[in-house]
This record gives sequence, C-alpha cells and structure tokens, in this order.
Amino acid sequence: MSQTILEVKNLKKYFNISKGQVLKAVDNISFSIDRGKILGMVGESGCGKTTVGRTIVHLYNPDEGEVLFNGVNIHELNNKKYRQITKKIQMIFQDPYASLDPRKTVSAIVGEGIDIHKLCRSKTERMERIYEMLEMVGLNREHANRFPHEFSGGQRQRIGIARALAVGPEFLVCDEAISALDVSIQAQIINLLIDLQKRLNLTYLFIAHDLSMIRYISDDTIVMYLGTLVEKSETEELFENPLHPYTVGLLEAVPIADPDYEKNHKHDLLSGEVPSPINPAPGCRFSSRCKFAKEICRNETPVLKDAGGGHMVACHTVHREEW
Amino acid sequence: MTEKILEVKDLEFSFDTYAGEVHAIRGVSFHINRSESLAIVGESGCGKSVTVQSIMRLVPTPPGRLKGGKIFYCGKDITNCSDRQMEKLRGKEMSMIFQDPMTSLNPTMRIGRQISEGIKKHEKISPDEARKRSISLLKEVGISDPERNIIRYPHMYSGGMRQRVMIAIALACNPKILFADEPTTSLDVTTQAQILEVMNHLKQEFEMAIVLITHNLGIVARFAERISVMYAGKIVETGKTNDIFYDPRHPYTWGLLNSVPAVGKKRTEKLPTITGTPPDLFMPPKGCAFYNRCEYRMKVCKENDPPERKIGEEHYASCWLLDERAPGIKPYVVKRHAGEGSGKGVM
Repeated sequence: MSQTILEVKNLKKYFNISKGQVLKAVDNISFSIDRGKILGMVGESGCGKTTVGRTIVHLYNPDEGEVLFNGVNIHELNNKKYRQITKKIQMIFQDPYASLDPRKTVSAIVGEGIDIHKLCRSKTERMERIYEMLEMVGLNREHANRFPHEFSGGQRQRIGIARALAVGPEFLVCDEAISALDVSIQAQIINLLIDLQKRLNLTYLFIAHDLSMIRYISDDTIVMYLGTLVEKSETEELFENPLHPYTVGLLEAVPIADPDYEKNHKHDLLSGEVPSPINPAPGCRFSSRCKFAKEICRNETPVLKDAGGGHMVACHTVHREEW
Repeated sequence: MTEKILEVKDLEFSFDTYAGEVHAIRGVSFHINRSESLAIVGESGCGKSVTVQSIMRLVPTPPGRLKGGKIFYCGKDITNCSDRQMEKLRGKEMSMIFQDPMTSLNPTMRIGRQISEGIKKHEKISPDEARKRSISLLKEVGISDPERNIIRYPHMYSGGMRQRVMIAIALACNPKILFADEPTTSLDVTTQAQILEVMNHLKQEFEMAIVLITHNLGIVARFAERISVMYAGKIVETGKTNDIFYDPRHPYTWGLLNSVPAVGKKRTEKLPTITGTPPDLFMPPKGCAFYNRCEYRMKVCKENDPPERKIGEEHYASCWLLDERAPGIKPYVVKRHAGEGSGKGVM
C-alpha cells in the first residue's frame, strides 16, 4: 500500500544574479516519495540539494513545476491552508550551532511551533508537550530551561529534532543533519532518526554527502549533479550497480574504512571540478568531466529513463541501444 | 630504512582559563619516520589539534602552557629552543595545512605572493626565482595553468583549489614533516579524493612524513600506514593500520570502528554507538578516562590509569583488559572486509 506523500514535478529554481546571468540551481527535477520511506539525496556541494529541500519546505518559491504534498500543490495555497501544511512538513538543519537561537531557552525553541499553530490550549499542556518532545529525542525535562550554548553538538541536534517534531509533522527534510557531528554522535542521531521514523511513521528526505550513511539509512536514493537528477534507484541497487558515470565516480571517491580493500582497489577518480551552474552549456551537464562523453552528450540533454527494474538514469551512454 | 624524524615523549599541555586549568594533552608519546604517514584519530576535543599545534608552537602562551615532555626533531631536542630558532624550523622543516582553506588564506594577497612569502623568509632568493618556484609548486599540487593562476586572489578559487594552494604554501621549502589538520573535512568527496592523491604523491616523491589528523576512518584506511587513536588527551592505542582495523584492542577503538556503517548493513540493525560523552578535562579522571563510557569496565579501571602494553611490533594499547588477570573478552567488532566480488559500488 505504497501511497505517495510528496511529489516533485519538473521543479525549476533559477536565481538571477546579474544582467543576463542565471544560476540554474535546480533544473527540471521530478521525483516522489512514498509514505513511511526514506529517500536519500546525494551530490557534491553546489549541486542543488539544499535548494530542493528548501523549496519543498516552502522557503523558496519555484520558478516552474510543482511540489505536491498529499496531492496538494503547496505553492498555490492561501495563507490559512498553507499553515495547515507547514505543520506537516518540517526541516532539520545542518548546523546545530547556527540553527538554534542562542537567546532562547530550549522550551521557547521547541514551543515556538506549538504557539504559532496553537496546538495547546493551556500552559501546562504546552509544557507537557515540550517535555514529551524532549524525552522523545533522548533529552530530559531539566533541559527545558537551559540555553543552547549549554549543550554539545549532538544534544543541540536533538533539540533541533524536538523542535521539528513538536508540531506533529508527517514529513521531515533532513538537510545534512549529521554532517557537523562526530562519528560516534552521528551514529546516535541516525539511530534516533530511524527510531522516530518507525514510531511516528514519518517520511524523510535525507540530504547528505556521506554516502555510507545514505546507504545505511535510505530506501531509495537519488543522485544530483549541477541541478539535474542523474540517477534514481532503490538504494542497494544503486550502490551495487551504479550506471551513471558520475555516480560511479562519486562512489569511487569515498574512502572505505577497510585498509585491505583500499590497498587492493584501484581508484578511478573523477578529474576536474564541478563547473559553474551559471549559464550552463547545453547537453549533459556532466559531459565536461565524463570520459565517455560523445558528440551527442554535448548537444542533447539526456532524460531520465528506466534502465531496468525501476533503475532510472539520465545518460546517453547507458541508453546507447536507443540511439 | 626507518629514521625517526620526529619524536614526542610524554607531552603535557594545558590551557589556563578563568575557570581553571584544562588538561588538554596528558602525556602523549609518538614518533614518525621519514616518508611515513601517521594518522591521529579521535573525537573533537580529544586533543588531536592541540598536540600538533603545540609541537609547531602555534598555541599562544598564555593561555597555553607546555607542562612537560620532550619533542625531538631529527634527534635534536627542540622542546625549549628559542622562538627564533623555532621560526627557522617552522615552514622550512615542518609545515602545516589547516582545516579550513576558506579562512586560512589571506584574501588581500595574490596566490603567488602567499606562496613565495615563506620561501623568501627562509632562503635568499631573487623575486624571479621565487616566482618560478611558485609556478612549479602549483603544478606539483595539480593546478592547471599555474602561470595565470599565481596572479589571482583566493576568492577566485574553489575550496579544493584553495586547499591545493595551502598545500603548495606548506611545501614551499621542502619540509620534512607535513602536519595536515583535517585537510579535507570541508571538501566534497570527489575533491577529497583528489587532495589525498596529491598528498600521497608528495609523500612518495619528496620522502615527506605526513601526520594526518582526522576523524574519518575511511580516509585513514586509504591514506595512513600507522594510526594513533586519541581519547581525552591521551593516545589509547597505536599500531599499523591493519592492526588497528583488524585487531583493535582498546574498547574505544572498537566503538569508533563500530560506529561506521559496514557494508551490507541495513537499518534494521541498530548502529552500535558509544554512549555518553568524553570526560571534562578541567578535572581529568584519576583512572582510565574512558571508564564512564566503557562497556567492559572493571573495578581497577576507575582508580588506576592503565599502562601502555605492547601487543605486537609497533602495536601498543593502554587498557586493563590486556592485563593477564583480566577476564577474556570477545569484543563485538563489525567484520569489515568488503570482499572482492561485490562489484564496483562497494562501500
């Protein structure tokens, strides 16, 4: 009974920087997430991951395309209805040091959403809800009256999660939620997120650049490159059998915590850097770094096509037989 | 040929703050040989960076204070040498690259000048010669079109390029040791792989010893020959890379290794974590610093600091579990052989 909770259709987000210069941060992206699933999103910095996340939580308005949440386009709602939706979509931010107001106590931070959405009728009810949230994320009641600077990075991230959960969301965008944390703390937060997902039947869009975490946590994974979607598949399939040359290069680059493997494996590294997303060249965005690039790659933008079993890839080389 | 380039013995370093003394480093000993790569791993706040910075004498004193221990460079005691002598070593004999390439370059100086600055300081060299050297250094670290690039400013560069420039600056006088403090943490995986490649190439070509500070075990596995695991201002285990990954002896090392998701593990199994937090270094514990978080703690651990024990050639660990009176414990350590047959996407 897979039921789509969020659907992104032909999403485009451009930023006008100066005259005639357009930064195509997100260029025609479509994907969907089923309720109760975790979708991983990977790509290098500047590829548009965060822009997608922010557009979904309505921090940005798209230039084209739509974001459907439970079938409703969230960018076409009036204020009142929109408020109903924001309750359901929440976000966890990357930097637990910058995303909490240093002048507010934990209870004020966690309670803010509760107040805005008027979820509690009395003060005691409100405090109970805050305590409940704190306990849910592994903190305790005494923490409610403290300030963010009194907490470690992992604890702050827990506060950020409590804040997101306080309004009873169905969908969470985790934008690099663990990248700023230590390895052992990362594991704690990941365990917490998985635990909460099961308990509250949440759906996650999990944005990260740590591929081993993505492999561990997500059901499906999408790979972005310079504002475009290059590959989309069930996670295990994607990691075992990557098709797009960029995905292959990305996986090659990740060092594996196994010295024997590292010693015996020849690394085929991607050369060069991500080109600028400002006024990108036509054709495949990856063609400037791709060793398989042909004439067609430089002229024609490849579209996402099924390469068998729901493994979608946008590459001319992979779909060679169709030339 | 093993020639000890740097040897540190029982280094102790503290910070005097308004709240009291922070015992940042509490007796650290290690050495590094010529053209060897040593990784220092551990959580943030365990003293990795301070260790290196105190060797380079980059910590302002006060608040920092060297409390004890000896530092030998090429057999020579440099613990108490004058600041002027240290200045001669710094940059020329030992160099450092920092974590954040965005903030550690001077935004108002052209790249070429920043590279040649160090050369001019240590060597009598004509401007033209310095320029030529800068160009060849940039080529060495993989920057294309160096003639044009040396007249640019840092803001015109991407993160990866800036880190390459940082490495070029560090290399300018052919140092014998390079300290790399989390050199790739702020970079993308693909750029990170390129930077590691550059460092590997330098190690081999210039016989440079590299001390790499990181918390990423993948990088360690790819790059290091030896590993020192640090916890709360002490090195708890040291060994060859294979010893640490395949035969770790300290519970903290077990915990670190376990918290990296292994191949083929799905989220139905929980990731093992190290619960709790590191001890407060204002008041370091009397016994083993890992006592509070250790699953295998015993009575003896609380009051007595475990001595370092030799396990194999170059493999040492400090834990009471290694005592002959301790109960034999089979640690739960995730098997981490990726295997050869599982395709190109092994991770």
